[in-house]
Amino acid sequence: MPRLRRSADVVWEGNVARGEGHISAGTGAFTGLPYSLATRIVAPAEATSPEELLAAAHASCFGMSLATELASGGTPPERVDVTCTVTMDEVQGRGHLIVDSTLQVTARVPGIDGDSFQQVVEQADEGCSMSALIRASATISVNARLEGGDDGD
Amino acid sequence: MATDRRAEATWQGDLMSGSGTIESVGSGAFGPLDVTWASRAEEPQGRTSPEELIAAAHAACFSMAFSNVLAQAGHPPEHLATTATVTFEPGTGITRSAIDVEGSVPGIDEEAFRAAAEDAKDNCPVSGALKGNVELSVTARLRNA
Repeated sequence: MPRLRRSADVVWEGNVARGEGHISAGTGAFTGLPYSLATRIVAPAEATSPEELLAAAHASCFGMSLATELASGGTPPERVDVTCTVTMDEVQGRGHLIVDSTLQVTARVPGIDGDSFQQVVEQADEGCSMSALIRASATISVNARLEGGDDGD
Repeated sequence: MATDRRAEATWQGDLMSGSGTIESVGSGAFGPLDVTWASRAEEPQGRTSPEELIAAAHAACFSMAFSNVLAQAGHPPEHLATTATVTFEPGTGITRSAIDVEGSVPGIDEEAFRAAAEDAKDNCPVSGALKGNVELSVTARLRNA
């Protein structure tokens, strides 16, 4: 697998307080998503933000990582459901920082027991490139449970 | 004051033959968006990916921070066009996020513009999240009449 590059474009107009930007994916998967300081910090008002985009990245990255680890162990998932919440906070003397990413995971995995599943979840967190990315500066929490399934609890 | 932002994604099957969806995000601004391993690692075929979403987050964060640095220096921007490119190296992970920005900023010279871009690149919150592990760079061009 060769190195990969992905890009996104933003157009911003104005100063921070009253300005506005639009976010577009290089692939065209999403285009012209509006955002502003007010929608980032105060209330989303149907506008995305950098933290929301990071949450989408982490949720999708972790889902793939978990599927990979489960399949390597001979128990590929029927379904993995990941909700990621990214928190930004104002840190004394350092301004706004992304401080936490919390993952809630529910998975339907035939043929795995609860303990093995939790071990695989840990491996998935260690192997997830997005977890590795932000671990140096933010906390990451993963809460995972099995749902239904042949041998699930 | 802390802000929380949320997204939900699902995945079915193994990595190579399976597929996933970014189902929804808290704001409702986008989703559902399909993701696959092939479109992440090979030809995108119009699908987003974690790396593209990180690029979008970084470009958006940088642009907002840059407009703030410029405004605080007394030169609020008229227009900034930013591209962020995220690089993933197999076996290592995400290694780079490179920002390219072109701006219309009345009253500023090229040197001050570039210095402001470096400041924003070093200090925006997403750079702060990436900094420990990822090489960050910015190229900045002033396009004033």
